[in-house]
Amino acid sequence: MRAHDNKINTLPLPFLFALFGLLLLVFVILNITLGSVQISLSEIWKSLLHKGDPVFQTVVMEIRFPRAVAAVFGGAALAVSGLLLQIFFRNPIADPYVLGVSSGATLLVAIVSLSGFAMGMRSVSPYLLSAAALIGALGVVALIVILAGKLKNVVTLLVVGMMIGFMCSAGTSFLIAFAEKEQVHSFTLWTLGSFSGFCWDEAAVLAIGGAVLLIASYLLCKPLNALLLGEDYAQSMGVDIRTLRVVIVVISSVLTALVTAFAGPVAFIGLAAPHLARLTLGSSDNKVLIPAAILIGALITTLCDLAARLVFAPVELPISAVTSLFGGPIVIFLLLKRKTSL
Amino acid sequence: MSVLQTEGLAVGYGERVVVDGVNLEALKGQFICLLGPNGSGKSTILRCLAGLLSPLKGSVYLKGDVLYRLEPKDLSRIMAVVLTDRLSPGLVTVFDVAAMGRYPYTNFFGHFSEDDRRKTWEALRLVNAHDLAERYFSELSDGEKQKVLLARALVQEPEVIVLDEPTTHLDVKHRLEVMEILRELTKEKGITVILSLHEIDLALKSCETALLVKNGKILAYGPPEVVLDEEMVTTLYDINSAHFSLCLGGMELVNNGGPMVYVLAGAGSGAPLYRFLNKCGFSIMTGVLHENDVDYHVGKALGARVIGEKAFEEISDRSFSKAALLSNQVPYIVESDYPVGSFNRRNADLARHILAQGKVIYSLRGREGARRLYGDGAAGMVFFPDFNSLGKRLKDLSREQQAGGE
Repeated sequence: MRAHDNKINTLPLPFLFALFGLLLLVFVILNITLGSVQISLSEIWKSLLHKGDPVFQTVVMEIRFPRAVAAVFGGAALAVSGLLLQIFFRNPIADPYVLGVSSGATLLVAIVSLSGFAMGMRSVSPYLLSAAALIGALGVVALIVILAGKLKNVVTLLVVGMMIGFMCSAGTSFLIAFAEKEQVHSFTLWTLGSFSGFCWDEAAVLAIGGAVLLIASYLLCKPLNALLLGEDYAQSMGVDIRTLRVVIVVISSVLTALVTAFAGPVAFIGLAAPHLARLTLGSSDNKVLIPAAILIGALITTLCDLAARLVFAPVELPISAVTSLFGGPIVIFLLLKRKTSL
Repeated sequence: MSVLQTEGLAVGYGERVVVDGVNLEALKGQFICLLGPNGSGKSTILRCLAGLLSPLKGSVYLKGDVLYRLEPKDLSRIMAVVLTDRLSPGLVTVFDVAAMGRYPYTNFFGHFSEDDRRKTWEALRLVNAHDLAERYFSELSDGEKQKVLLARALVQEPEVIVLDEPTTHLDVKHRLEVMEILRELTKEKGITVILSLHEIDLALKSCETALLVKNGKILAYGPPEVVLDEEMVTTLYDINSAHFSLCLGGMELVNNGGPMVYVLAGAGSGAPLYRFLNKCGFSIMTGVLHENDVDYHVGKALGARVIGEKAFEEISDRSFSKAALLSNQVPYIVESDYPVGSFNRRNADLARHILAQGKVIYSLRGREGARRLYGDGAAGMVFFPDFNSLGKRLKDLSREQQAGGE
């Protein structure tokens, strides 16, 4: 029958989820094994039990493991943030950055790293950068939340968010114009995102904060499903729209802010992972879509981080370059295979 | 018992009042319809009644409680809506769209019980959409979508359903189907239905109460048979080019000038012919028609000059001579394939009289039928197999005459 024409898979959902989970595990292990130093599985096992070679132990436990954890939670956070905003704005091209969260982070990072010298700073510590990015991102979130309660409809909010983004970018451009070349180079690399240099403290903040918010967004799946029919219908079915708006904006923005703070604005995952989840599952039901987006977001991010490290080793590519280059064709392919629009 | 009631309600957006002075009372199982031109504020009233918009003045009472003080969840168990928004919910099946109506009844995680499932299927079956259940909602036609949205509203088990223009964009079949379902709901389940419509004929044929809205005011409120007359419809929609006929329950485009045609008709054979000639640009004169003949009413509504006779009476001398006189002044005489019986047999005499004057009758009756009815007189007739050939000939003739006259 026509019913299933548009589904790309006919596989049962539990199988798909098991497949995604297994792939994720494989990629995480690959992320830890592969690199400038190859580390075998048994070495990893020994390192985990604190019995291995001290060099390997450092590489595994202090560098690669936290980085892999960060990629998993970072990818998942961006995917869910994008999904929430796509539903909220009923717009398939919404991504985690539409509300200006990353622009706020970028502006603060620019202030710290580009004008730091003027204020007498010799070098910029990564902690300071992360703190600046987090403050910038959360500042924009606070502004958006205040506005979300006041504005009549979500499209206005979308435009306001974009305007805030543009204003922050303008400030950033201003700083770039007056900055020195080397600073601009390292700043530009920051804006392209990277999971390198994650320490356990940072990874833990991202993982714990991310996990809490991911669970919170899963608890929203019932009102989110009602929102698929638009705000009026949702309200008529008993959804408290004003509260839901604020909750969605807070959860999605804080998820994005967490990732941006430590990894910079990682492009594409937040836009593409929700679509990939929808297309592979053939469903917009958030009860399955949110877990799928989490798994797919984590999957793509770990895979892309691996590629970013390995393809042109020892030069490490910015992760945004890899995500867009890999993900774009996949989304186009899936869209072409399906006849209905998003 | 009144389910929904408004008192001195003023609706609008921000400072701007769209409609003021809305006082209506909806009883259990009542079918209420809002009529009015585009932009008159029908949707705004409906949004306010549904609690999607707070009133600027006055109040809405739902079963005695002030509506906008109700908790969203309590409100949603009494009231459901079908809106005009074009929906694109993504990859959601028809069943899932309908199932969303269980929202106020399911638990925090939206767990779907056997009972919820059964109620969803019941609603889908009621609107004849159960065959579509597995399809994606976005693949459906407008008519199918509307039925599914209606099912979704029903799944909510409401006592009141508010629908904003539920028949717009639908074809005739779906339009009637939707109205029929709504009417059944009011009769069998005692659900109160409040909707806005564009089709006066549908309103007249299905609603118990009509609320006429124009220029921010309520023009009238009451049974459509009472409040909708020709004058009211003309005022409501500002139309001069069409006439409303309460008896026919619809609108007819008014004839405005053009060469005269005298039409011999009766028993419903005239109505389509009038409309056809009207569209071809002719003015119509017709008779003798009995007042209980549908042709009489269509003719009147079209703005034709109708020579009438009392119902079930034989055609009087007075009507006959009037018809004979008038038909003599008209350039073209046309007859439909009307039946001749004891009440209207003098119409056949009228035709013979016209033929005897040496005038041509353009007939749709067919040669054989005409010979049987008029005998040798039928020689003066011109026959046409269908409306099209007749219309073409008449247009040619009138063009020739115009050219000759100049």
